[in-house]
Amino acid sequence: MRARIPWLGLAVLFAAFLAWEAVSRGFAGLGDYVPPPSRMLGMLGQILVSGELLFHAQATLARFAGAYALAAVVAVSAGVAFGSSRVLYSFVEPLVELLRPMPSPATIPIAILFLGIGNEMKIAVTAYACTWPILLNTLDGVRGVDRVLRQTAATFGVGPWRTLFQVVIPAASPQIVTGLRVSLAIALILVTTSEMVVADDGLGFFILDLQRSFRIPEMYAAILALAVLGYLLNQAFLTIDGWVMAWHRLGTRKEVV
Amino acid sequence: MNARPSRWNGVALLVALTLLWEAAGRAGWVHRLFFPPVSRILQSFVTLVASGEVLPHVGVSLWRAGLGYLLAALAGIGLGIAMGYWRQAYEAAEVVIELGRALPPPAIIPVAIVFLGIGDMMKVFVIFFACAFPILVNTTDGVRAVDPVLLRTARTFGLGEAAIIRKVMVPAAAPYIMTGLRVALAIALILTVISEMVGATSGIGYFILDSQRSFRIPQMYAGMLVLALLGYLLNRAFLLADTRLLAWYRRGAESA
Repeated sequence: MRARIPWLGLAVLFAAFLAWEAVSRGFAGLGDYVPPPSRMLGMLGQILVSGELLFHAQATLARFAGAYALAAVVAVSAGVAFGSSRVLYSFVEPLVELLRPMPSPATIPIAILFLGIGNEMKIAVTAYACTWPILLNTLDGVRGVDRVLRQTAATFGVGPWRTLFQVVIPAASPQIVTGLRVSLAIALILVTTSEMVVADDGLGFFILDLQRSFRIPEMYAAILALAVLGYLLNQAFLTIDGWVMAWHRLGTRKEVV
Repeated sequence: MNARPSRWNGVALLVALTLLWEAAGRAGWVHRLFFPPVSRILQSFVTLVASGEVLPHVGVSLWRAGLGYLLAALAGIGLGIAMGYWRQAYEAAEVVIELGRALPPPAIIPVAIVFLGIGDMMKVFVIFFACAFPILVNTTDGVRAVDPVLLRTARTFGLGEAAIIRKVMVPAAAPYIMTGLRVALAIALILTVISEMVGATSGIGYFILDSQRSFRIPQMYAGMLVLALLGYLLNRAFLLADTRLLAWYRRGAESA
């Protein structure tokens, strides 16, 4: 599927790094603010070897995984329940409409009050933020399930639980996956933010701390590491999505042809 | 399933929850200090709005969010059209954009502080950075999805490059562009709050965190209420603009 190597794009990236290197070395004062990429890479190696980077990355990943898993379980279940019953959803609709537009980082201060400044606070805030896209997409997906599918299952005497797991959830899964993908990016944003506001480990804390102690080349190196982490998580998601949803692509492709 | 259930169900639940909150707050079931009754929060809200204490914070947040969003829209749509129209431009920028997009935007805050200090421009830059990607990616997708027949027809009728972009490309890609703008609106608010929490002395994000740190708890909840209202109103305004701008598109889609 992705056999093409973006040579031109890589060349542009390389050229940009070369230009950056030249400019940063050319002007003496600038090097403190924008260290040349070669120094950044050197620093990346250094914080990798010293174990600092891995220590903080591990803390961030653990929070990310906990919060994301929690949100996925809660939001998919809630989405399936509310999507299956309009009456049930009518009870929570105003609540959803009220809470959804509020930018999720605003919950950080409340979470600090009730959960302190530890892992629980960060996981709660991140899970809260991730819940919305998954919930709303699951809701839409479940509502959009073709009636004929449900009726066919009923005609064949399939029980409600089997219908749920073998008809409704698979039929809604493309949208559930969309919600999960959107949440992936949101989870990283909220984890790093909560680490910036209050923490003593994690990549968000690490980057801000490096800036505050004016270790600027290390700061850039840590940011680069975070970008790589984000990229890898996204690729992992796409790979898993490719395996799990292969049946769906196959089916839709046939329809088109 | 058939009849639409009454809207009052939800309102009733909301009222019940509010009453429960009030009772819990008064009785101190949760925590006397951290969980004040709703009436005290509303009272604090009214005082904040009436005294004008919160308005400057809202104004400053809106100004930062608005400027960052506007710049992101200009850059994102402009670059997105270029990348959708010229394959070479797309291939050249592809890797750099994929790399930038993978970075969680809050990570750019320390860089912005190094260059721009902790003033307004730092926040504007962070908001700009975060909002530019969804707008750019959606615009590029939209332009690439334009029906080639439309383009060939326009060329056959002798339209120039600029006219094609303005009269064919942009309208055809408009639904995608609006999707990008809607996603970016939510992101703009999120990043406004985040950047104001990390380094600021004004703005609604700062106001909420500062209220919590100085233990003015009802005021913290009132600040969150202000923020929720702000988010709701901005979203409404966007939907209104969206309906007007894309009315022609929806009508077409219905009749098709």
